[in-house]
Order: sequence, then structure tokens, then C-alpha cells
Amino acid sequence: MRGSVAQGVLRRLLYALIAIVGVAALVFVLLRMVPGNPVATLLGEHADNETVERISSSLGLDQPLPVQFANYLLGALRGDFGESYTLGKPVSELIGPAFVNTLWLALAAALVAWVVGIACGLFAAIRKGTIVDRLFMGFSLLGVSLPVFMVSMLLQYVFARYLHWLPVAGISDWTGYILPAIALGWGSAGSIARLVRSSIIEVLQQDYIDTARAKGRTNSQVLVLHALRNAMLPVITLMAMQFSGLLSGAVITETVFSINGIGRLSVQAIAGRDIPLLQGTTLLCTFVIVMGNLAADLLYNVCDPRVRKGA
Amino acid sequence: MDRRTFIKSAFAAPLCGLLLQGCSSQTDRAKRGRLTTATGSDMSTMDMAHNDSVYWAQLNIFDRLFETRMVNGKATVVNSLCADYDVSDDGLTYDFTLREGVLFSNGDPLTSSDVRYSFCRLLTEAAVNTDIPLQVLGGQALMDKKTDKLEGFIIKDDTHFSIVLETPNGGFIAQLSSAAMSIVNECVTRAAKNFGKDPSETIGSGPYYVAEWVPNDHFTLRYNERYWGEEPTVKESIQRVIPDASTRDLMFQNGEIDIIDLSGIDSLIVQRSYKVEHADQIVYNQQIGMNYLALNETNEFLKDVHVRKAICMAIDVDDIIHNLMSDDAIRQNGIIPTGAWGHNENLEAPPFDPDGARALLAEAGYDNGDVSFEMALPSDGPRLLYETVSNQLSKVGINANIRVYDKAAWMEKRRAGEMESFITVWMLDYNDPANIMAVFFGSPERAKNRSICYPNTDVMARVSAAQSIVDDEARKREYQELERKIVVEDHAWIPLYQGMRLFCIGDRVESFTPFWAGYGDFYVKDVVLRKEARA
Repeated sequence: MRGSVAQGVLRRLLYALIAIVGVAALVFVLLRMVPGNPVATLLGEHADNETVERISSSLGLDQPLPVQFANYLLGALRGDFGESYTLGKPVSELIGPAFVNTLWLALAAALVAWVVGIACGLFAAIRKGTIVDRLFMGFSLLGVSLPVFMVSMLLQYVFARYLHWLPVAGISDWTGYILPAIALGWGSAGSIARLVRSSIIEVLQQDYIDTARAKGRTNSQVLVLHALRNAMLPVITLMAMQFSGLLSGAVITETVFSINGIGRLSVQAIAGRDIPLLQGTTLLCTFVIVMGNLAADLLYNVCDPRVRKGA
Repeated sequence: MDRRTFIKSAFAAPLCGLLLQGCSSQTDRAKRGRLTTATGSDMSTMDMAHNDSVYWAQLNIFDRLFETRMVNGKATVVNSLCADYDVSDDGLTYDFTLREGVLFSNGDPLTSSDVRYSFCRLLTEAAVNTDIPLQVLGGQALMDKKTDKLEGFIIKDDTHFSIVLETPNGGFIAQLSSAAMSIVNECVTRAAKNFGKDPSETIGSGPYYVAEWVPNDHFTLRYNERYWGEEPTVKESIQRVIPDASTRDLMFQNGEIDIIDLSGIDSLIVQRSYKVEHADQIVYNQQIGMNYLALNETNEFLKDVHVRKAICMAIDVDDIIHNLMSDDAIRQNGIIPTGAWGHNENLEAPPFDPDGARALLAEAGYDNGDVSFEMALPSDGPRLLYETVSNQLSKVGINANIRVYDKAAWMEKRRAGEMESFITVWMLDYNDPANIMAVFFGSPERAKNRSICYPNTDVMARVSAAQSIVDDEARKREYQELERKIVVEDHAWIPLYQGMRLFCIGDRVESFTPFWAGYGDFYVKDVVLRKEARA
């Protein structure tokens, strides 16, 4: 059985590799199809055509597309994704620290989302139909409905501008992560809370819950050991998907809070037609999302014995 | 949650806040002598051979032979590393004497050889700023790799050298004050593997050196103790990269940045908040450049001078200045902007006259709605300005249809000479009419490059030749005559207005002089901190 799980994982890894190479090729072609010369964009107003041609040649952009793609793939295999046109540094040097920033932000946001989301969903399910339920669900709905930029600005005004408790932007220390994590995590918390609530309500109606109660388990034990554990299965999938989404860059949050992360780098790369940087960030995001999906499947395997048996 | 836990939690949050606030007095001490600013985007390199749009590093790390500074309210070229110079009667040979005792931030002395190397590397590095060194005798041969020496650069000794030009250039000294002509340390730069990107290899003689550069995050300058000029009050400058304008605004309001460039901030906030609450802290700076409407003369309607003149007469520039720019702009009538050397105050553009515009169109045989063209708006462009101009033109029966392009696509279309019409801004790099006249009307290629496609080759030849007139007065006269021909007779350039750049200084700053041309970048040494904020 363990062998079949391993085979499944290997198969998924193979699919992941195909997806990554496919995305690399697609991005490469698309970036060269869209109008806008990257060198002209980089050089700006003052450069004449001769300069644009000279710099294009020095960057190898005058070579045939298949040659450029082959060079790119060979470089990528060596870990060399080229040099960013707009930031003038090797792409790997840029996306490394940016990914670390995004990772910390994603972890902090996920923490907010999971703790708040599970707690809200749990309390709302226990107090189903009461004012507590409505309050928690209203809070969750607000998180899902409010645009991130609005929440971000609201938090900045309250906690940075008026209370002076936290910095407006930047992540010079851990306090810099608090506001963006809340801004980013609230929306995810809302989705989790709604799912946890509905799952728990459903689970609480199952026969094994009555059995557990009949065995003398306390309400808390029933809720945590039996109801929550079973209700978490669909929630785990959502959490894993959300986390890989957060890792692939939270463009608005990173921009508003000036966090040098993957999302901000990607937008900057698009605006500046920074082909190497955009290829690098896209590949990284593809990798993260594919791995996130794989992790979700594996977690499901771990949590649900039926899935393990089925595998 | 029991009551005790609830009460504990209720007190915990404010206590955390107080703790965080408690750190602020320590932060205040650390901030002494420090200037914090913010920019929307980072530069790609500090190397002037590869960067001609962001000058923050160049202005503060390096010196040039000359600088353009505001003297009695006028942009004036003054000596910097050059102590003295002399020019031959034919305008071809310049003899320079370097300032004595100048050291680079690493302690190396500045010599004539450093200056020559700085000129040469612009030509040998596949650089963007080749225009100025190309004028030196043998510049083209060096760039084409036919030689490894710059023939027209003759070193006499460590502090004396001559430059021989291919052809005379009356604006040469002004050009030497542009950021592109920054002087680098030859020894360090030759050995450098990453000049312009690695702070330790990017050495200048300016008032600051680069202490740290985290791309896309912040850029730190520290005072260069070996600097030959007056000691500035700012000993450390941190420029943070904050892409969101409203975040920059909040940071300024919160005291996290000391100077804010208001050009990116919503105009309503500037009018209602900054101009009311911080009226005494706003620094106004004239941008030596202008917003203009470009019309492509290959277009079937726009090639007709009647149509171009009608467009000019249909646009109410004063209304735009008053209602869109809140009067923070100056109307322009020509090509050479107000404040630039050679500006003609007496040049008069056709008055705003919608009836006259309609009559002109009728005279040219166009009925209401016949004339139609596209106004290409870049994605980050001034949409409201475009809409206003389009609306004003529609009142005389001209359809100026706005189409939004991604910025990169917009630039490519314009560079190909295919853009029918657009509005944009041009700002000077050095204080000479060549920096605008020659750029747009110096040759058919340049006119096409800007999607103007001006067809008068005689005028363009004269524009190109005007640069070589040695006598300043004669050169000015020639430029102004050409300007009159292009703007008043041919209506090939529709001048709109010159904007003001507004900065707001925080409580820690006593005074601040922006860069003469009105860029967002400035000399950090021109910021004077209040006594209590100094180190």
C-alpha cells in the first residue's frame, strides 16, 4: 500500500514537472508576443533607436526565439535565470529574498486565517442560530467581502496613523508583519470560518457523535476530538490551497505595505517588460502552486484513513 | 473565555501598544542626522552608462566637472570639479584645470585620467548616455572599437587636460553638468566586476557614499568624510521604495519620512490636506520642461497646418491650468521652456478661439466631425488631462479618440512613429535648448522617433547646426527663430503648460532646495536639518 502511495506521489511529481516546463514555454512565448519592447521600456524617454538596438543586441534579444528559449532553459537548469532588466541583478538573487519575505507574510497571514477562521467557525457552529453565530458569520462575511486594499488602508489609518502602534509600511522588524498579515488573513479566515461552521454542523448530526456522548465524553471532548477532527478534512484542502495562493504573491498587500515580495516583483516585471524577472517569478509561483496541491493531497491522505485505503 | 482571561486580554493590547511606543525615544536618537525619503520605484543601476532616468545615486555619490545650480532663482552652470576652463575662439578646444585636493570616498586623489576614463567608458560600455562623449574628436572611432583611445582627450598633467570636439558646441559646458557625465574612480572602476550594482565598487568624490542597497527596498547613503565641499547637515540618507502613493502619504503624515514628493499623491489630498495643513512646509519647484501635445504629420488630417492650428486654438490651456492643475503650472507658448536658457518670453501662441478654430477647419474643407484621430494614453498617463483636451476639441467638431495603451506598448508605438497623437512631458537634463529642440527636431529620424514626423528637413538641418554656433547670443537667436517657425507658423508642436513639482518637508527639515530641473531626485546635501534633528 505504501508503494502505491509512493507511485502516486511520483506520478504527481512528474505531472508537476510537465506543468512547470509547459508554463515556462508558455510564458516565454507570450512575453514575446505582447507589444512593447523591453529595452525601449527600460531605457525610457531619452534613448534613441540606435541605442535601443545596441542594448537589445547586448542582451541577446536579437537572436532567434528558439535560440533564446534554449539558452533560457539551459540557464534555468543551472539555476541561472538571467539578470533582471529593471533591477539590474541576477533573478535568483532577487526572487530569493523576495520569496522569503512572501513566505513570512504568508505564514503570518495563514496563522491569522487559521486561528481566527477555525475559532469563528467553531463558535458559530456551537451557537448555531444565535446572535453569536450571526456575529461571527457577519465578521467572516466582512472579511471575504471587503477588498484587501481597503482593509489595508483602514488598518494603516487606525494602528499606524492614529494609534502609532505599528509602522505604516515596511518590514524592518516583526511588527511590520502584523498589519499586512491581518489584512491578508482576514479574507481567508472568512472562507475557513464558513466552511468550518457548515462542516461541524453536518458532523454534529452524525451517529458517531451520539455514540461518543453516550460513552460519557464531555461536550468539549466531543467537539474537539470527534467533530472538529472530522470536519477539518475539507478545511485542510482549502487551507493548503489558500497557503499556496498566499505564497505565490499577495500583490496588493505587498504593494500597499511596501513588502518586497514575489507579488510586487511580478507586477513590477510586467510593467517594465522585465522578461527574465517575470519568467523567474512565474516559474516560482507555478512550482509553489503545484507543490501546494500535492501537499494538500498528501495531507488528505494522512488525515483520512478512507483515502489511504482507497490509495 | 472566563472573565479574568477577558480582562487580561483587554489590557494586553494597549500595553503592547505602549511598549511599541516606548521604543520611539531610542528611535529618535538613532534618527539624528538622518534623512528618510521615499520613492515609487527603484533604480536598475547606479551606473550612468546604463541608467538615464533615475539620478538619485549619480547626483549624490559622484561629482561632475560642472553642476547646474539655482543661483538667484536662475538655473546656472557653475564650476564643480573643474576649477577653471578656457575655450578656443573656434569653439573646438576646451582647456580644463581640475580642483586641487579632491579625493574619492576611498581616499584616492582625483586626476585628469579619471575624467578621461569616465568619458571613454560611456562609449565602450554599450551605454545609454553616449551623446556627449561622442562629440569629442575620435569618439565615434572609440565607440566603433576602431581604436582604444579617445583622440580628442589630451591629458597634460594630473590636474590639466584639454578636450577637442569634432564640431563646436555652444552648450558643451552645460552638457558636462548632466548626471550622465559623472566622474568615476578609474582604478576602482576598472577593477570592478559589478560597478553600479555593488556599493563597494561604486566610488565617487561626491558628498555621500553608498552604505547599503537592498534592491526594491531601500538605498542608504552616508556622508563622505573626505568630501571637498561644505559639510552637509544630513549625515545619512535612507531612500525607501514605497510603490503605493497613499502609503507614502501616510508615512509622511506619521513622521516616518521627512520629505515627500507630492507629484504622485492624489491632487484632492494635496489641495485639501497638504496646502491647508502644511502650507508653510510646501516647497514649490518649477519643472524645467513642459507638457505638450504631439501631432503626427503623417496622419491624413494632422498633416494639414489648418487642422493643427485649429487644434491649438481649440484647447483652453488656461482652463486646464486653473481647473486641473490648481494653478500650479505656467502656460507655455514655445518649445524652449520657461526657466531654460534661450526661453523666449515674447513668443505668442494663437489665442484660445473656438470660433476661429471652426472657421479654420471650414476653410480647410472639413465639416463638423470630419476630423478624427487617436490620442494614445499610456496606462499610467494623465487620463483627466486627455479627457479635458478631447472634450475641448469635440466642441469645435474634432474627434480626438482616447485609446489606452500599456506603457511599454505605448512607447514602442511612439518609437515606431505610428502614434497619431499623444500628450506627455519632457524635462531637461541640461540647461540648453539643444536638449529639447535637437531631441525632437534635430533630424527626420528623431522626429519620427517621437511620432511627430515633422517633414521640414531644412528646419531640422538648421536645428542640428544651431548647436555649433559658438556665439551665445547668435545661438539663442537662431533657436528662437526656429522655435517660432515650428510653433507659430507650422504648429508642429502644441505647447501646453509647465508643471510645478511640489514637495512637502517634515518637522525635522529646516530647508530644502529641489533639483534645478524639477526632478523627484535631488542633492541630499541641499537638505538642511533642524538643529535638534542633526547628529
